[in-house]
Amino acid sequence: MTAPTTTDSEYDDTPAAPDEDGRAPASRYGVLALAVMVVVGLLLGYAGGLLTPRLTRPGDASVEAGFARDMTTHHAQAVEMSLIAYRSATLPEVRQIAVDIATGQQGEIGAMQTWLREWGLSPTGSKPPMSWMSDGASVKNGLMPGMATPQQMTALRDATGIEVDRQFLKLMYDHHLGGIHMIDAALDETDNAEVVRVAQTMKNTQQTELNNLRQLQAQAAKG
Amino acid sequence: MSISTPGGPERRPTVVSTGKKPAAGRPASGAKAGSGKPASSPRAGGKGPRKPVTPVKVSQGRAWGPIALFVAVGVLAAGIIGYGAWASFQGSKPWDKRANAIDGIVNIRKTDKASLEYESHKSGPLTYKYSPPVGGVHNAAWQNCMGDVYDAPIANEHAVHSLEHGAVWVTYRPDLPKDQVEKLAGKVRGVEKMLMSPYEGLDKPISLQAWGYQLKVDNADDSRIDEFIKDLRVNASVEGPTALCNTGITATGTTPRELPQQQQPAQQ
Repeated sequence: MTAPTTTDSEYDDTPAAPDEDGRAPASRYGVLALAVMVVVGLLLGYAGGLLTPRLTRPGDASVEAGFARDMTTHHAQAVEMSLIAYRSATLPEVRQIAVDIATGQQGEIGAMQTWLREWGLSPTGSKPPMSWMSDGASVKNGLMPGMATPQQMTALRDATGIEVDRQFLKLMYDHHLGGIHMIDAALDETDNAEVVRVAQTMKNTQQTELNNLRQLQAQAAKG
Repeated sequence: MSISTPGGPERRPTVVSTGKKPAAGRPASGAKAGSGKPASSPRAGGKGPRKPVTPVKVSQGRAWGPIALFVAVGVLAAGIIGYGAWASFQGSKPWDKRANAIDGIVNIRKTDKASLEYESHKSGPLTYKYSPPVGGVHNAAWQNCMGDVYDAPIANEHAVHSLEHGAVWVTYRPDLPKDQVEKLAGKVRGVEKMLMSPYEGLDKPISLQAWGYQLKVDNADDSRIDEFIKDLRVNASVEGPTALCNTGITATGTTPRELPQQQQPAQQ
């Protein structure tokens, strides 16, 4: 009976009531400890879920980042060439494939730029272009594989009539060949599912377009 | 814990149990009344004899309280985790898995992949293995698929190119009742990567096509129509999500057309 009395005196603030046989406090702490453990466990799991994608995303020097940056540059020139052809080419089929390439590749630029942003990386790398590729030696005069020289771009802009079609088809054919070379390198070296998916779509599309470009070249050669 | 008239002695244990297990609620009034008084009165009161009775009751309350709390927390946690896991599992299911789960869908990508392959664009009329066609070789021009609702049949050779660009092509038998047609049109009109046209000789009233997929249904109210569109529109694109649906052929007629020479000279 002594214990209860003691409790009574403090029951207003500390309602711990050990007027039971001492098992009460013990089980109470047990419950508390379990509850804390559950909460801590949940928090740890949540933190792990938050951090994992952050720690596993591609870094600044990764193949994925290099591909996203360089393919953006590569695509950007294809978009320019295609929009010139869409505006000025003679054959309707050439204009049609040109506008398809332009919007398709512009869309892919959007996807690749979004990757970089999501990975917390800058669109500009600190290494020279193509250094992510094992055979990075393929940069010529600062141009990636298949890219048109400034002189070729000027000539395309200045061309008129069927000459636009012919120059565009030739430039875009080479451009796609170089592009596929870069895509293959990325596919070889990445296992990032999203990068693989988009790169594979790019490759399939460009391979089909190569056939169509070649067919149109024959048509344009006739005049 | 029947709180009867007896003031001090009864009240005390009640409050005690409250401290332990908050949920009770019952003590509220008692606690209020007691808050000032009991501090002194219980102590003064020689409740020695009565106590053995009350603790027993209280301890029963104590036993259930933690259990209830614990179960509640446990169930809540399991529920949250379970729902999260289920939702993310469902959400992360790839579109092709979801499409394959549609009852009655035909997946030509699986059953007849070869029929979808082609070398390059081919002009003029072409023949197709499936009716309506779901892929394969096609003309250079695509049918405009910016949510266009065509009121007459269109050329397969253009529509297949639209499928390649990720469009869902809704076709219906010309004898489909007007209100059904209108219901279908409501799912198409104004939505890019969608097109719709009547189709002669369908074996079912309605047939939906995406590149490599087909679903035939009897009724515009069939919920699988929305499933098909949800899972395959854009996703089925061979050339990624931004392949064009505009600048295509907007004329009807089942004979494929050459691309118009249009105002090309004027632009130069």
